[in-house]
Amino acid sequence: MKEMKYVAPRGVDEALDYLAEYGEKATVLAGGTDVVPKVNYYELLPDVIVYVGGIGTDYITEGDGQLVIGAGATWSSLMRDPLVKARARVLAEAASQGGCVATRNAGTIGGNIVNASPAADLSVALLALDAGVIVRNSKAERTVALKDFFTGPGATVLQPDELVIEVRVPFVKGNAVFLKLGRRKAMTLSVVNTAVRIYSEGGTCEEARIAVGAMGPRPIRCAEAEKVIVGQAIDLGLIDKCADTAITETSPIDDQRASAWYRKKAGRNLIRRALVQAAGIAG
Amino acid sequence: MKYTLSFTLNGCEVDVLVKPNDTLLDVLREKLQVLSPKRGCDTGDCGACTVLLEGEPVRSCLTIAMTVAGKKVRTIEAFTSGEGKLHPLQQAFHEHGATQCGFCTPGMLLSSISLLEKNPKPSREEIVEAISGNLCRCGTYLEAVEAIEAVANGEGKE
Repeated sequence: MKEMKYVAPRGVDEALDYLAEYGEKATVLAGGTDVVPKVNYYELLPDVIVYVGGIGTDYITEGDGQLVIGAGATWSSLMRDPLVKARARVLAEAASQGGCVATRNAGTIGGNIVNASPAADLSVALLALDAGVIVRNSKAERTVALKDFFTGPGATVLQPDELVIEVRVPFVKGNAVFLKLGRRKAMTLSVVNTAVRIYSEGGTCEEARIAVGAMGPRPIRCAEAEKVIVGQAIDLGLIDKCADTAITETSPIDDQRASAWYRKKAGRNLIRRALVQAAGIAG
Repeated sequence: MKYTLSFTLNGCEVDVLVKPNDTLLDVLREKLQVLSPKRGCDTGDCGACTVLLEGEPVRSCLTIAMTVAGKKVRTIEAFTSGEGKLHPLQQAFHEHGATQCGFCTPGMLLSSISLLEKNPKPSREEIVEAISGNLCRCGTYLEAVEAIEAVANGEGKE
């Protein structure tokens, strides 16, 4: 039986020192909603648990034309925070649809990103908002665009000595919508989810973001679908074409929640519905 | 390695020896013999292990015990007098038949107590949302919602 350790740093620098010291032996624990089930079922036997709930990253603020969200901010705080509601309502909307009260009180935005679930609700909303992730180790800090952060299911560009400190969400233009399809309403992982943002002027789409989750190994932006709609006058025909294109960019799998076939059918309609809502036209 | 964990449980200071991977649920049930939080799934899905941490409902099965150091934890035991007198919500659950096998009841009660503490007059939708993370295999959801509504409307209070 190996000896397991627990440390609870009181600040970011102290946490990074522990990560520098323990490297791959460290399991970073924040809200625990993703880590602890694995611990309970012995899928994960940590050598050292580094608890980051006490390092003071649960802030939400703004500056330099962007919303600044500490990695330790919980889903509950995201759905209630007036700044998030004013500047990134789609993120508050995504947060309010995840899990249930008790898991939203514990789970954090940093945890949702680092866990790198292909179905991560917050990550999908953040992709539509061009969010960036502030990553730090004991020596340096770097910024990674969220779209470049995920490398596969549960895999990211994060190194063992690095911690996600902050998420930055620029004040982007347009109307954003998050929609999620689950097996039921509460306490469910997304079968497919999407976040869409449309900025249009005089009926012409100036900027578009189409993000989907649970439709491949990681949450993605559908770049080809975005090209279909940008610069065009938005109507239902264009939206249909855009949703069809988005699905060609996805690669869903069959799993216990849904088949790949179903995900493509349902995903296409979910994206279409989100586009209609974001464009503010009658669908 | 074992650590001494100190926290406040139902108003009492407790010290207990725990392992880093012990959850709050492990510690409550197996070390402190507080048996109202139930072990249903150990993955956070069922809500039977719900406790209040600093007044907010959380899954005790997803809470590594060491993380509650210095914090206040309440279980349903905190809300009964010990003289057989029930909390108004317990009384209402009883009167509305919202308890059948009783396994989900402590968690269901804590979710609803937390709701009414913050929002004494919730809408039906807010009640449903508040207990949406508490599974009841007996299917007493309707009765639970009605019991919570009854308390919010002043019934069952003295």
